[in-house]
Amino acid sequence: MIQDYVVFVGVNIVLAWSVYVVLLAGSLSFANGGFMAIGAYVSGVLTVKFGVPLVFATTIAGVVAGAIGVLVGFPALRTRGIYLMLVTVGIAVSVKAVIESIDYVGGIQGFGGMVGTTEWHVVALVVLVGCGLWFLSKSPLQRILDAVREDELVAASLGINPVYVKLVCFGAGAFLAAVAGGFYAHYLIHVTPDQFGIVLSVFIVLYAVLGGTNNMWGPPIGATIMTLIPEFVRSLESWRPTAFGIIILGLLLIRPDGLLAFRHVTTRAKGVLATSLSDGAKPD
Amino acid sequence: MLVEQVINGVVLGSMYALIAQGYTLVFGVLDKLNFAHGEIFMLGGFICLASIALGASLPISILVTAIVSGVLGLMVEFVGFRKFHSPDAHITAALSSFAIGLVIIDLSQKVWGAEPVALTLPGTLQTATISIAGLTVVVLRLTILVISLLLMLVLYVVVTKTTLGRRIRAVAESPTKAALFGINVTRVNQQVFFIASAMAGLAGLALAVRTGYASTDVGFTFGLKALAIMAIGGMGDLRGALIGGLLVGVLEALAFQWGLGQLADVFVWLFMIAILLVRPAGLFGTLVSKEIRA
Repeated sequence: MIQDYVVFVGVNIVLAWSVYVVLLAGSLSFANGGFMAIGAYVSGVLTVKFGVPLVFATTIAGVVAGAIGVLVGFPALRTRGIYLMLVTVGIAVSVKAVIESIDYVGGIQGFGGMVGTTEWHVVALVVLVGCGLWFLSKSPLQRILDAVREDELVAASLGINPVYVKLVCFGAGAFLAAVAGGFYAHYLIHVTPDQFGIVLSVFIVLYAVLGGTNNMWGPPIGATIMTLIPEFVRSLESWRPTAFGIIILGLLLIRPDGLLAFRHVTTRAKGVLATSLSDGAKPD
Repeated sequence: MLVEQVINGVVLGSMYALIAQGYTLVFGVLDKLNFAHGEIFMLGGFICLASIALGASLPISILVTAIVSGVLGLMVEFVGFRKFHSPDAHITAALSSFAIGLVIIDLSQKVWGAEPVALTLPGTLQTATISIAGLTVVVLRLTILVISLLLMLVLYVVVTKTTLGRRIRAVAESPTKAALFGINVTRVNQQVFFIASAMAGLAGLALAVRTGYASTDVGFTFGLKALAIMAIGGMGDLRGALIGGLLVGVLEALAFQWGLGQLADVFVWLFMIAILLVRPAGLFGTLVSKEIRA
């Protein structure tokens, strides 16, 4: 039981981080559920049909998904804002439909036989990704990402190539989602394309947004809470989706910037800021 | 046969267009995606079902469906959008409306069950056919097409010719400036949500009547496709939503005709991605100005 919790929470944390990585450069991706599916299926085929060791297989799956991410990301990132959101929704829907139509991996019936993930794999993955992100947040690269996120034009004028930066982040997000998907599939033993629908993609984004996306600790907190809440409302069994939806709404209404928004500007600070700005703007 | 398929496609497309225009109105005014829109569309069929079960006649049920869906739209606006008004809250608003959608789906599955519920109309309304120039067409489909087109025409007139429409366009262009001119922005948002949701409810009713049953999962299949159609047409563009809807409806019907039925669901998204690659703001959209165009 506790093993289930550790694996699901861990996988969801990495997924939330995969969205966070894409958001670092200012784009929002609803495609990560699709990349997770790619990871699950590619690693599953490698271990079951070719006998590749688990860790190696998930790494390859991650690289494949990352490459696909860069390939589709390159044209997709031409669009912006809500159009980009919709393009990523389209990618997620298409990936699911393509997997459903490939008989080699079982089509709608799903693909089975993957075994081998223990909770330690997942814990190690979370620690590894966490360390990576922590070093990233201390590195000059974080400032490049901040610049691209806040203002692409300014970033470009400073010699940063925004498209390249966003593409790398999109690919990295796809990589992380696929690796998480690989371990997830090898824990579940059997996966179906249905599990990787658009709802999953939206939930991954929810994990990140509920936790707060302006620092790396928000997404894991959001993922942990959102994974464990359904277990607690299990006593309400039949009302689960409703309770879950209401809890999400409540969290969003109470903390629209996420539970753990460190750089949250308080109302007071906003007032001070506004006064100083209007003072500065006064004609003399 | 081919012509009949095309006619079916146009009917299907007119329903897509009805939903897509709702999406595009809300997007034009608030700059935010309403993920609960598809679920209100889904509920449309069930509201009609319930009202017929309570003994109301079809015209009354249609009216009830429009009003109840509109009121639900007001609720969605109040819960999911009222608090998230800052320009960069569009992710939060999309997710909160998504959460509302989850609640709506679950509650309606509680009431009506997860299986589709049959919706049969009295008499031969659903089966009667008519022959025009050698083509056999189900009268009901033609009626749906005519009513949808009429509704969109009414919306066009409202948006372009009336005071309400002028207010809506003003808020779409700039809520701040509109407020400075004495327009009650919240009221306009509510009106837009009411109109959009009533149209979605009627589209849901049309789908339920056409297929003969109301189902709780059409919001995620049919409703989500309308989102892609809105992007194809260009956001905030009523004409784009109409043309995009008809285009996708016809192409989908042709895909079935040529035996590519299982790809029909993906096809819309691939089409949208292709269009957005060539025109990053959809067929009729522009990235520069933001307004509701009809």
